[in-house]
Amino acid sequence: METNLITEDKQKNKLEKAFEILKTMASKPSGLIGLSIVLFHVVLALLSPYIAPYDYKAISPNTMLLAPSAEHWFGTDSLGRDVFTRTILGGRTALTVTFFGSLIALLWGGLLGIFCGLVGGKIDDVVMRVVDAFLSIPWILAMLLIVSLLGTSTEVLIPALGFFYGKGIVRVARAATHDVIAKDFIVSARARGHSNMSIIWNEIIPNVRDAILVEGAMRWSWMLLGFSSLSFLGFGVSPPTPDWGLMISNARGLMSFAYWSVIAPIVGLSSLIIGINLTADAFAKALGIDRSTKAPV
Amino acid sequence: MKYILKVFSVTFMSLILSFSIANASSGVFKVSHDLGFGKDTNLDAITKGRLFQVVIKTQNRLVRPDMNGVPSPSLSTDWSANSDATEWTFNLRKGIYFHDGSAFDAPDVKYSLMRAKDPDIGSPVRKSLNVVEEIEVVDQHTVKMKLSTSFADFPLLLTDYRLRMIPEGSGDTIGQTGVGTGPFIVDKFDPEGTTILKANPDYWEGAPGVAEVHVIAIPDAQARIQALLTGQIDMNRYVPFNQKKIFDSNSKFKTTVIPTGNWRGVVMRTDTAPFDNPKVRKAFRLAVDRQELVDLVMGGAATVSCDTPVMPSDQYRLQMDCPQNISKAKNLLREAGFPNGIELTVYPATLEPTWPTIAEVVQQQVAKAGIKVNIEMVPSKGYWNEVWMKKPVSMTRWNQRPADTILHEAYHSGAKWNESYFKNADFDKNLADARSELDFNKRKKAYQNAQMTLWEQSGTMIPYHVSRLVVTSSKVKNLDAVDHFSIQWHKVKVD
Repeated sequence: METNLITEDKQKNKLEKAFEILKTMASKPSGLIGLSIVLFHVVLALLSPYIAPYDYKAISPNTMLLAPSAEHWFGTDSLGRDVFTRTILGGRTALTVTFFGSLIALLWGGLLGIFCGLVGGKIDDVVMRVVDAFLSIPWILAMLLIVSLLGTSTEVLIPALGFFYGKGIVRVARAATHDVIAKDFIVSARARGHSNMSIIWNEIIPNVRDAILVEGAMRWSWMLLGFSSLSFLGFGVSPPTPDWGLMISNARGLMSFAYWSVIAPIVGLSSLIIGINLTADAFAKALGIDRSTKAPV
Repeated sequence: MKYILKVFSVTFMSLILSFSIANASSGVFKVSHDLGFGKDTNLDAITKGRLFQVVIKTQNRLVRPDMNGVPSPSLSTDWSANSDATEWTFNLRKGIYFHDGSAFDAPDVKYSLMRAKDPDIGSPVRKSLNVVEEIEVVDQHTVKMKLSTSFADFPLLLTDYRLRMIPEGSGDTIGQTGVGTGPFIVDKFDPEGTTILKANPDYWEGAPGVAEVHVIAIPDAQARIQALLTGQIDMNRYVPFNQKKIFDSNSKFKTTVIPTGNWRGVVMRTDTAPFDNPKVRKAFRLAVDRQELVDLVMGGAATVSCDTPVMPSDQYRLQMDCPQNISKAKNLLREAGFPNGIELTVYPATLEPTWPTIAEVVQQQVAKAGIKVNIEMVPSKGYWNEVWMKKPVSMTRWNQRPADTILHEAYHSGAKWNESYFKNADFDKNLADARSELDFNKRKKAYQNAQMTLWEQSGTMIPYHVSRLVVTSSKVKNLDAVDHFSIQWHKVKVD
């Protein structure tokens, strides 16, 4: 009974802390704007299948390149498809792929970085040199190679993006771990005979978590841009799936006379990236993290 | 009197000077190519990787198509046949020299054509040239070609854009030098950068209008359009019709629409399941709405084709209708053992700007027949080596050729570029019969029978023959409004 009460208290404290962080983030105009934009995109992504006015695949020569009107709010594209429908659904793909990609990046990058920071020695040296080697390869080239070999399905894109965007997190997590392992409580835990896993789980993660989360949030916006770049080049999701990068790529040649087919996805993509950046910035400030060093101040 | 004479001579000299300046080659004409053959790109016209944007400007044929596609003199001034059209005699133009200074004569003709037939080289044009059994050098300016069968349209075969005359014995180096008798001389060959051609001042039709031609590698179609807009190139012959508006309203550019026999298509390998079943292939082809493709992809500027590669203006083309028929397509799939439909993947690249759009439209159209199409974009560079004739379903594009040539080259069971791996004895027999038939109507019937076989059995879905939208800078003058291979390049000028 007593244990349950303690757990409930802990849960309540966590919720209160999260609420406090959100409140701090929203207290600054930039944070409020960032949060609102991200929230708007998330809600839109969730509701878009239900509010989309047209079938995103429906092609017709009779509705090619129609200008914005009451019938087609954002006009139509070169195959006669409704741009509003494709824009609101386009965010769904980008958010899903990059959200799960960022989670994977956070998990493998964070855990490997913490492990290397804790064990040090030869293992640390070898792993970090391998990470450095991967960092020296332009991610877009490596991604093109992967999608050429394995295809462009989301089952391929999510882990591939997660892998390439996780490399940087390894370094951040390792640096943050180095700041923590010299502290007395780690020495004490070692003296008590705790295993490495126990030290990572109970002592290090609670202390480096914030720095890694902020880095993860930043990686999310970069990954969004990276994913859209891949789609722009034709190597993101496959047609006819609506996707902002693909929509921009298809309509870029029509910009001078059918601007509507390209403006909507550009606004969607850039607003989400700006929103995530502002949110990550406010999140870091609320946690007291200096984003230039990615470590607690 | 002395003064009048002085004035007269100065005026006369000025006139001569201005006349020679006006006729001298000047300016640079910049064009692009898509680097579709990657590292295999070369200047040997008969190979797969030939960079035709260069070859057509540096080398001549014996016979070329005139503005209406009719065989007309080039390096051969005239020709005649024996009574059963099995022996053809060609008289050659005299006083012609290659860029390396050697004289053009009959042994060069024999060498160039026999080389195209060489099995070791394995030229894609070899199949259609197999009809030539022997080439006899009658004298320095006359050759006689002995054919294995009667062939009333033989000169038409020699208008093929790859049958270029090169110096005798130059086969080992031609891929890099591009030596010919054409209006331009290769100065620098850089397939991945800018290839520079210089005007041939001694060209037999007169000095070219421009001093240099730059052929620049730009793999991406949209990048080529931007290059035209920014003045990096002066001509783009592959502008999609949905972008015509950009240039129509801009005085810096000229747009010309040219009906052609060029075609785009989706190729199913007939040696690969499930496309080894003719019913599956026909089901796919029946499920396509060709007119909708013409409207959506080409803005209406194309002629519907019922899977025949023979161009609309060709006398042997089979005229027929082939509207979308979903219920028949479903029935055929059911009969073939696929009652729940089939799934396939196509691999478009942007080297042909309309391929991704064709794939997207076809994807929607055939879905109604239970055919699920996945689209996977692939890099433009190396498409012809790594995707085409390799994947079970690929995208294709062909330039126009005479009926006999295209039917042999793309569908004959022994053809190197038989992209769908199509093998049909009746089809091959009809082609052989057509060649040897001297009666026009019977010959036409045989060619049309072959096209009917394609409609029933073919693995290639050809929705239309395109009209080409050619956009040039307004500085470009005297460019013939015909397809690539009929243009007289020496006449082009750039202000």
